[in-house]
Amino acid sequence: MPVISADLTRQGGMPPAAELERRLLAGQTLLAETPGHVLEVVGVLESYGEVLDAYSRNLIYQAEHQFLNPFPIFKFLDGDLNPAKIWRHLNHDRINFEYAEYCMKAMLWHGTGGLDAYLDSQAFADLCAKIIEAKRRKDLLLGLLDPLFRQFLPELIRTAATTHALGQFWRVMSDLFIDLAAAERDGRVASIAQVVDFLKDGLVAAAAKPITYAVTIGLESFPVLPPEAGLTFLVDVAVPYVEAVFLRGMPFLGTVSFNAQAQQISPDQAQFAYGALFADPLPTMGAGIPPSLLMQDMYRHLPKSLHDWYLQCSRGEGDVRVKICASFQKAMFCVTNAAIAGTLPHPIGSGDPQAQAANQAYARAWATRLASARTDCLSAAS
Amino acid sequence: MMSSVLMAFPWLSLLLAIPFLGTFALLLWPGEPSPGRLRGITIGLLAAQLVASLALLLVFDPALGGMQLEELHSWVPSIGLNYQLGVDGLSLPLVLINAALTLVAAVCTRDFSKRPRIYFSMLLLISGAVNGAFLAENLLLFFLFYELELIPLWLLISIWGGNQRAYAATKFLIFTAVSGMLILGAFLGLALFTGTVDFSLTAITSERLAMGSQIVLLSALLVGFGIKLPLVPFHTWLPDAHTQASTPVSVLLAGVLLKLGTYGILRFGMGLFPEAWAQLAPGLAIWAAITVVYGSLAAIAQRDMKRMVAYSSVGHMGYVLLAGAAATPVALLGAEFQMVSHGLISALLFLLVGTVYRKTGTRDLDVLRGLLNPERGLPFTGTLMILGVMASAGMPGMVGFIAEFLVFRGSLLAYPIATLVCMVGSGLTAVYFLLLVNRAFFGRLAITPASDNPVDDARLDIQLAPVAPRETLPALALALGVLALGLFPALLGHWSEATTTAMAQFPALLAPITDGGLG
Repeated sequence: MPVISADLTRQGGMPPAAELERRLLAGQTLLAETPGHVLEVVGVLESYGEVLDAYSRNLIYQAEHQFLNPFPIFKFLDGDLNPAKIWRHLNHDRINFEYAEYCMKAMLWHGTGGLDAYLDSQAFADLCAKIIEAKRRKDLLLGLLDPLFRQFLPELIRTAATTHALGQFWRVMSDLFIDLAAAERDGRVASIAQVVDFLKDGLVAAAAKPITYAVTIGLESFPVLPPEAGLTFLVDVAVPYVEAVFLRGMPFLGTVSFNAQAQQISPDQAQFAYGALFADPLPTMGAGIPPSLLMQDMYRHLPKSLHDWYLQCSRGEGDVRVKICASFQKAMFCVTNAAIAGTLPHPIGSGDPQAQAANQAYARAWATRLASARTDCLSAAS
Repeated sequence: MMSSVLMAFPWLSLLLAIPFLGTFALLLWPGEPSPGRLRGITIGLLAAQLVASLALLLVFDPALGGMQLEELHSWVPSIGLNYQLGVDGLSLPLVLINAALTLVAAVCTRDFSKRPRIYFSMLLLISGAVNGAFLAENLLLFFLFYELELIPLWLLISIWGGNQRAYAATKFLIFTAVSGMLILGAFLGLALFTGTVDFSLTAITSERLAMGSQIVLLSALLVGFGIKLPLVPFHTWLPDAHTQASTPVSVLLAGVLLKLGTYGILRFGMGLFPEAWAQLAPGLAIWAAITVVYGSLAAIAQRDMKRMVAYSSVGHMGYVLLAGAAATPVALLGAEFQMVSHGLISALLFLLVGTVYRKTGTRDLDVLRGLLNPERGLPFTGTLMILGVMASAGMPGMVGFIAEFLVFRGSLLAYPIATLVCMVGSGLTAVYFLLLVNRAFFGRLAITPASDNPVDDARLDIQLAPVAPRETLPALALALGVLALGLFPALLGHWSEATTTAMAQFPALLAPITDGGLG
């Protein structure tokens, strides 16, 4: 075996599940505490917040204004059909809204949590029937499609509901990430622990925020996700989002494509581990696959301090999207860290043995899942 | 008036004077000039040599098949050694390739901190010696130049080579010394049997010997030049020499020095012994086919990128022997194209392999993965590598296709079986170079052996230094040459066709099958 120069490769340390569990139960952060990590996480979350703002506005626009439109050609233009904007869109001088759609479809497909349960309920089916009835009177094409394909329009409505819910979720997260950057500039946040606490507080504060959605057909308003459904931000949208996008993902989320016919993909969606925390930051052959799209978008809004820092390491501008992706994964581990801390069954310092056992079981379940993710980015040396 | 002045100018001597005087100048340069300055002077001299070589095109008449711009000065007439130079359509492209590739070798020299004065003077000395060998019209003068390039190349391998450089350099020295002895023996034997002391190429070619003597002398030449070419089974020095040589030396070795073997076989083997050549030609065609297939199969078995390219040279040089055996005008033109094509393509491939080695520290195909990665790999190097292997495999649009097509077209009717076997060898080129590209350049970027757990592989953070644009300029220039001659083959055929056609007109070489030229 030839000797490879040590400065050419760096084997990332992979903490075992027990170490992750220990950190979670000790209230420590998963990501190592370094000034570089603070710069990376806060900076990349600020750019992510800017991107999520655009994603959120577009998803909500699509759900409200492109509802049951079978040919949503201009869905990414937010209703602005200015020729200059259309040209920029065609010339790809724009945000990659495709990534937002991709995340929405991951949520829809994996279907976990309260939102998915509601979308499969009879109450939702009844609402769909009313909406379709009203829509068929206005739209001849839908009037033809619905009797031919009975599940087609309900599925489009489920898609629209998920789209709107994700838009609402990202609205909150966008503001939270931009507030985090402001807090860091004000000196209120200066460490990874404070970053995680800030995110946890933000998630907890928004936890009970109701998730609702209604559409207007003609002059009449029809609820799709009514207040009576009792859907809330944290349990019904945020947790399914983490499950679908951070953990499971889809086989093409990473940079390695898989051959389903060769049984390289488990038919059990619960066995999927292709999410953002598992994705390879290094694109293979540079195809325009979703993570690359998100990195392109974040690159447009990168804070100068972080951009300057990137220019000092590795290939500088040449591999900046890879570095953004690596920083993004660190940031997502912080968000996951905050979500786990915010949803622990009992306070960490509880002296009750039963509470401790419950916390331990909860932390172990998470640590086991995260152990096979790209935790090599968590070390101080990464 | 201007034309006569140009014609009277000793252009060929100038092509020898620039590198030889440059060698002395570097060796005697006062003080301790910096390596950068020595490199700059060398590049300047080699650029001047390239310009002078290109100037030959102004005075060379492509319509003539014989020697031109001849120069004759008596040197040691008592032993038949005279300073007699000339150039024709066979040697002109090789002189140009020599000038271009020596310049490329000097430009792509990155690490010249170790004994730079000797290194650059040896580069110049090799270039001058090779020019002399290609231009010599006197057998002894050719031999002197042929031997003269041996020592500098031995030094270049043994001083600036890899860990096993002493072994490789000694092996190269022994093989090439035997090659020189056989060639000298054949030349002296020719004089002995014909009773002449005039080693002038034009004077001695008309001599007629008994067939048995011709075959003995030709066999000595074939083995002598076959070692240099190299032909199987005399090839074993080449992969070792390439593996241990630095990148610039590999460029010279593959691009220029192997051509001394093919040139010698065509110029002296076929030219001096046309009747014996015609007798041995069927055997030579079989030898060529064996060399092509063996070289290709050996290349497939390699795991070291450089050894793979080296074995591909063995295979591709076999095409020249096949074309020489057929000796039709088209085949000989194909041989000329193949020499130029192989010079450009193999130099390109060695440059790129050198870049990979410099950036990754390895050439092991079991280790390298995904180097085409646009973010952290060597994407432009990979792109040129794909172009290079396509050219080597004979893809249309590149010079490799023109060369192989002409060789096969010119040889098929004369030796159909051998030609078909060589065509299979051409297909095998695609096999081993696709293996190379697929293993080293496609997939997920990694430079460690694939472990049982592929997840571990994927976690390596590859930190390859990027390739600066100036580092790729020599390879880019060669790639453009490969494309230019592939798209416009007349750029080369125009200068060589008359000579290669004339070479095929020896009565003994006139095969029952006749075919036309390019046009």
